[in-house]
Amino acid sequence: MVFMRIKVLIDDIGGGILFLGQIILTAIRTPAKIDLTLEQIYKVTAQSFATTAMAGFFVGAIMTIQFTMQLNEFSALEYLGGISTSATLREVGPLLIAFMLSGKVGAFTAAELGTMRVTEQIDAIRCLGANPIREIIVPRFFGIVTASFVLLSGGLVLSIIGGLLMGGLFAEVSFQEYVRHIPTLVTMPSIFNGLFKSFVFAFLIATICTYRGYTATGGAKGVGKAVLQTAVACMIAIVLSDWVTTVFTDTALTLIRGE
Amino acid sequence: MFVDSIGLILIQAGKTLADFLGMLKETFQALFRPPFRVGLIIQHIEFIANRSVGIIVFCVSFAAMVTIMESSYHMKLVLQEDSLVPGFAALLILRELGSVLAALLLTSKIGAGITAEIGTMTVTEQIDALKMLSINPVQYLVVPRLIACILSGLALAVISNLVCLISAMGISVANLGMSTGSFLLAMNRFVIFQDLVFAIIKGGVFGAVIPLIACYWGFRCTAGAQGVGQATTRSVVTASVAIIVLDFVMSWIFAHFY
Repeated sequence: MVFMRIKVLIDDIGGGILFLGQIILTAIRTPAKIDLTLEQIYKVTAQSFATTAMAGFFVGAIMTIQFTMQLNEFSALEYLGGISTSATLREVGPLLIAFMLSGKVGAFTAAELGTMRVTEQIDAIRCLGANPIREIIVPRFFGIVTASFVLLSGGLVLSIIGGLLMGGLFAEVSFQEYVRHIPTLVTMPSIFNGLFKSFVFAFLIATICTYRGYTATGGAKGVGKAVLQTAVACMIAIVLSDWVTTVFTDTALTLIRGE
Repeated sequence: MFVDSIGLILIQAGKTLADFLGMLKETFQALFRPPFRVGLIIQHIEFIANRSVGIIVFCVSFAAMVTIMESSYHMKLVLQEDSLVPGFAALLILRELGSVLAALLLTSKIGAGITAEIGTMTVTEQIDALKMLSINPVQYLVVPRLIACILSGLALAVISNLVCLISAMGISVANLGMSTGSFLLAMNRFVIFQDLVFAIIKGGVFGAVIPLIACYWGFRCTAGAQGVGQATTRSVVTASVAIIVLDFVMSWIFAHFY
């Protein structure tokens, strides 16, 4: 029983990687449909901007509240701005906003593609002599990667503003005081780390939701199952890759500094 | 044009909120009215808690490892030493990460499942059939899930915080060169009993939010295959946003009790 489940899991991972390879090969070999990709970017961004912006704002605010209590014990409240911005940018921000995106964008795309597959629209495209991966999947894949990356970065910027406002309201640290230590503690590698994480998460969400939607089977119930599996798989992939990227960037930084 | 659309969105949001409050009122009325379906509640607890404890333990332990590594990075940045990392990280885990991460995972696993289930029932007119049999659908469908999810939320908050702390201890022994004794000692200096109580309260509140929102979107599901998918997406997004906003509100309130 357990072995069967492990076999299914390995099958799924292998299928996902093969599918990703197919997408990239198709994108390289055939001329891209720029207008379709731009449409996807617009759709995803317009749909999810409010959600991610709100999530980013509150994540920044929460981090500031938590760090206020901890820093108060050391009476080091002047470092509040730096520490909470750094923690949000490097770690908590990308993770939580990506969770939100996987629920919104991932589930929506999986449901859309799954419905297409179940109602045999994808087979219809193949019958017309067009390549469904080129027509449907490639624009969606690159659209989601680009839009998610932009949305994640926008959410991070708003998290800084949320932290700043909460620093003034809750911790009674003035804006100048809050901003003063941001440049000393938030270094270029930290920002790069956050953006790198955002990119990895965007890539994973796009791969998983297109793969799950494209391979959905079994009518309306199958679509529901594909959506559920997308959400769960995205969460696991995000948490795992979060750990991997942290280790990776840590190692890369020590190698560059030569310590 | 622009003002018009904003007004329309506001009206829509107000209507949705009023609808939701109506369902909330019905749920509360049904909560204290017999028959109490204990068998159904236990069945749902099995589905909610038992089936998702594995994925929660798995994800949360990795999150704890990342937290420890990041805290050590920041401590070295400000204080030039990382002997106090366990205390800080344990506070962060107990006050935020443990309960919020578990709740977000629960949302996409359980919330989506509940919406899909009830949405399918709505679309195939099974809800109307229940009404014909003079069974109150809110009492039959929402109340058992609500009670089961609150109880599971309380239990999962304890489990996820425990796993978080244990894996944090593991990574500090392996990576930061601490012993388990020094980890516990450093943790003991910061963590107080209230932290655990508030973490459990948070777990319970998140557990109550998830089934309410999921059932609401399930009941309002429109016909067709797309309707169920749309309702599921909406339920996951609304519940996630509600969890983050509630977390913010509760953090603010609890901050006055330390």
